[in-house]
Amino acid sequence: MSEKKSVPSQSNSSKPSRRRFMQGAAATGALAAAPAFFPAKVLGLEGAVAPNDKIVLGGIGVGNRGRTVLRWMLREPDVYFVADCDPQVARAKIVKEMVDEWNGNSDCKLYHNIHEFLEARTDIDAVLSTTGDRWHALAAILAMRAGKDVYSEKPSCMTIAEGQAVVDTSNRYGRIYQTGTQRLSGDQFVFCNESVRLGRLGKVHTVRAHIAPWDAAEMRHDWLPAQPEPPKSETDWDHWLGPCPWRPYNEEYCRGGWRGHYDFHTSCIGEWGAHTFPQCQDAIEMIDQAASEYGYVNNESGDGMVTKFSNGINMVLERDMDKKYWHGSCGVRYEGEEGWLATADGYEKVEASSPELLADFDKIVNEYSERTGRAVGDVSRHVRNFFDCIHSRKQTVANASAMHRTMSTVHAANICMWLKRDLTYDPFKQEFNDDEANRLRTRAQREPWIM
Amino acid sequence: MTNSIQTLSAMAVTTAAGEEQKLIDALGSADASRKEKSDACRELGRMGSPAAIKPLAALLEDEEMSHMARYGLEPNPSLAVDSEFRTALGKLKGKLLAGVCGSIGIRKDKKAIDLLGEIASSSDAVAAAAAARALGNIGTENCVRVLKAALSKATGNVRLAVFEGLLRCAEALVEAGKTDDAKEIYESIGLMNPPRQISIAAALALDSI
Repeated sequence: MSEKKSVPSQSNSSKPSRRRFMQGAAATGALAAAPAFFPAKVLGLEGAVAPNDKIVLGGIGVGNRGRTVLRWMLREPDVYFVADCDPQVARAKIVKEMVDEWNGNSDCKLYHNIHEFLEARTDIDAVLSTTGDRWHALAAILAMRAGKDVYSEKPSCMTIAEGQAVVDTSNRYGRIYQTGTQRLSGDQFVFCNESVRLGRLGKVHTVRAHIAPWDAAEMRHDWLPAQPEPPKSETDWDHWLGPCPWRPYNEEYCRGGWRGHYDFHTSCIGEWGAHTFPQCQDAIEMIDQAASEYGYVNNESGDGMVTKFSNGINMVLERDMDKKYWHGSCGVRYEGEEGWLATADGYEKVEASSPELLADFDKIVNEYSERTGRAVGDVSRHVRNFFDCIHSRKQTVANASAMHRTMSTVHAANICMWLKRDLTYDPFKQEFNDDEANRLRTRAQREPWIM
Repeated sequence: MTNSIQTLSAMAVTTAAGEEQKLIDALGSADASRKEKSDACRELGRMGSPAAIKPLAALLEDEEMSHMARYGLEPNPSLAVDSEFRTALGKLKGKLLAGVCGSIGIRKDKKAIDLLGEIASSSDAVAAAAAARALGNIGTENCVRVLKAALSKATGNVRLAVFEGLLRCAEALVEAGKTDDAKEIYESIGLMNPPRQISIAAALALDSI
C-alpha cells in the first residue's frame, strides 16, 4: 500500500469495494460457486482497479471517544476518511476540522441524516460508528445493509435481540464487523489469554472481570426537565433518540448525560463489562457463548456476582474498589490451580503469582499473532486488525458473534440485577428459565427505526 | 409450612395483580402524563398479564403513545397480542403502521402474512419496507410468495427491504432443512437485477449451502 495520501475520486469510487468483494469472494470460494446468471457487472468484473486503492472510510456519530479511535485509523496508510454523519452538527464540524487537517484539504463532507449519508456515499467501504449505546446496533445494521464494513464502539447493542440482529446482518451481507474491545489486540491482554489457553496456569477455575466503579446496575427512568428543542439543523433530537422511547429534549443527554438512563445505556456492568467480559470469555474459550448461570447479589452494582459458563468456569464481576485484584481500569484476573495472572490499563507488565509465569512474553504474543494473523501490540492495533480483515475478508478478533455472545452475558447480568433473583440462561436457545427475564431480551423499537 | 407458602404465594399474586391494575389505570387516565403512561407501558411489558392487552392496544392509534403501547405488548407471550396487532394493521398508516409491522415480525405471527403482503405491495413506503422485513422474519414459503408479488411493484428502499425479506426467508428455510427451496430463492434473486450488496449476499449464501 502506498504511504501517499491520495484523494479517492467519488466518481469512480465503487471500484475499491468491488475489488475487495472480488478478493473476499475468491477467498471464500463464493465466486466459483456463483451461478452463471450473475452478470459480470454485478460482481464487479467489468472495471479495472488500481492495485493501491485505499479503504474509503466514513464516520457515524463520532464524538470524543470516536475521535480517539479515528486518530488511530487515520494513521493507517491504507485508509482515507471522507465523510461524517451526525445529528449534532457541532460534533461533526470538529471531526471535519480534524480530518481536513490530516488530509491537507477541505474535502471531508458532513451529513445530518444517516439514510441520506448511506445512500449518497456509495464510495465508502467502511464506517466507524461511535454513536452511544442506543444507536450502535442500528447504525451497524443500516451500514452493513448498504454494503459497508463496520467498526462499532462498545457497548454495541442494547439488548440480546439487537445483538443477534447484528450477527444476522453481518452474516447475511458478508460484512466485516469489529466491536471496539481494543484490549483484545493489546499484547498484555493477549499474553494473559494465551497463557490460559496454553495451560500455563493449570486448570483455570475462576476469572474476574472489572465492572465500572461508578453508576449502578439499576438504571434511571426519570426524564430530565424539558428544554426547547434546538433547530433540526443544529441537533435533530428525533434522530438522536433513534429507536429509543421518546422523551423531551434536554441538552445534557447530548453532552454524555445519557449514561445511567435505562433507555440509552447498559449500566456499570455494560460500561466496562463490554470490554472485560470478552477478554475473559476469549481466555476461557467461551467467546462463542454467554454465561449460563447468574447469581444475584444484593448491592447496587452487581459487584461480586458469580456467573458460570458451560465449561464449569466461574466469572466474577468485580468493582475492586480496594484494588485487590488489579490497579487500573478494565482489569482482568485469571486464576488456575497453578497460579494467576492479572492485567489492566496502564500496566508496564502483567502481574503474576510467580515470575516464571511471565517468561516467554514476546514468544507467546508473537506466536499468537502468527497463528491468527492478527495485529497485536498497542491496543490501537485493534483497528489494524479491522482493516486487515477488510482486505482478507477473514473474521476480526471482535467479530459480530463475539460481540453478541459477550454482550449477552452483560445483558443477562443486568437482567439478573433488575429482577433481583438468580437466573439460568441457555446460551444456545438464548432463553432464560424465567418469563420476565425472557421479556427483557428485547425492546420494541420506535417507529420508523425498525430493524 | 405448606399452608404458609401457599398463603405467601397467594399474597404475591394479589400484590402483582394490584400493581398491574394501577399501571392499567394509568394508561386510561386523563390525568396521567405522557411520562406516567410510558412508565406504565414499560412495566407492563415486563410483567403484564392478558388483562393489560386491550388497554395497551387502545393506544396503538395514539401518535404519542403508539410506540410505548408496542413496548408493552411486543414481549407479552399471550396470543391475544397477535390478534390486536393484526386488527391495528387495518387502522394505521405510515410510521405507526410500520411500527406494528415490525412488532408482528418480531413475534413471527403467521396469521398476519397476507395482511403484511398487502402492505408490502402498497404505496405507503415506510410501512411497506417494514412489512417486507417482517415477512422475512416469519420466513415461511407463503412469505416468499407474497414478497415476490410485492417485488414487482417495489422501488428504492422498499425494493431493498423486499430483497432482504427474501434473504431472511431463505435463511429460515435453510434452518428448517429446506435447502432446495432456499437455493431457489437465492438463484431467483440473481435473476432480478438486484443491487450489488444483495447479489453479494445471495452469492455468498449459495456458496455456503
